[in-house]
Amino acid sequence: MSIKIVLWVLILGIVISFLPQTLDACPACKNLDEPIARGFNISVLFMMAMPFTVFGAIGGSVFYYYRRANKQIKT
Amino acid sequence: MIAQSKLEMTDSQPFSNAKLGVVILLGAETMLFVGLIGAFLVLRMGNVTWPPLSHADIQLPRLVTGINTGLLLISGFTMFQAIRAIQSDRLKQLRVFLIFTGVLGLLFLVIQGSEWIQLVGKGLTLQSGVYGAIFYVLIGCHAIHVLGAVIWLTIVIGMALVGRFSSVSYTGVETCTIYWIYVVALWPILYFMVYFA
Repeated sequence: MSIKIVLWVLILGIVISFLPQTLDACPACKNLDEPIARGFNISVLFMMAMPFTVFGAIGGSVFYYYRRANKQIKT
Repeated sequence: MIAQSKLEMTDSQPFSNAKLGVVILLGAETMLFVGLIGAFLVLRMGNVTWPPLSHADIQLPRLVTGINTGLLLISGFTMFQAIRAIQSDRLKQLRVFLIFTGVLGLLFLVIQGSEWIQLVGKGLTLQSGVYGAIFYVLIGCHAIHVLGAVIWLTIVIGMALVGRFSSVSYTGVETCTIYWIYVVALWPILYFMVYFA
């Protein structure tokens, strides 16, 4: 029983030791309350959303035109 | 019967290659402008005061640019009327609307050029700081696109004058219209973002 507890505590200790303490990878992310960091965040989100929007719009319009043509042929 | 119809549909191509090409080009253009807008957002939000204190005395000409925006929006309307004219085989109206659109586009560029001359005179240049840099790059990039659209439109007008278009063959007008409408639709976004931020 006591060996089991020791084993669990050991595993928990190892897991905790691997948890990241700070986000040092990005030099702009140290203080997210700063205006420049907020600017970066919004800019990144905006740019990340755009490829999906653009490809969605192009694919959607091609799909719409083909579907409309198909309907016209059937009627 | 259905198989034959499907074959006909494939041959007629409801979404022509030319149109698809222009749409893909516009997708690439969108990504270019998204990058520039992203840079603008970083610079705008990174500065508590906008314009920055170094350019606090500079006021962008909102009213004149607002009128200019109206001219460009009207040009979008006339371009739309041009394609409607060719769809119903009204060639004379097509020419009139195309020429009117081109004149409005040129007028937009002339007014914007005169604004830039005034702003440079006031000390707002590309090298004067982030405010000038992002303003000229973003607005200038759009102006280059308007110039490109005007050149394209001039070619289309030339083709329309020699009677190259009809109600069954007007791909040149259609692709030019798509590009023009894109350039027109993009401008109000840039105008409100840059001039009212």
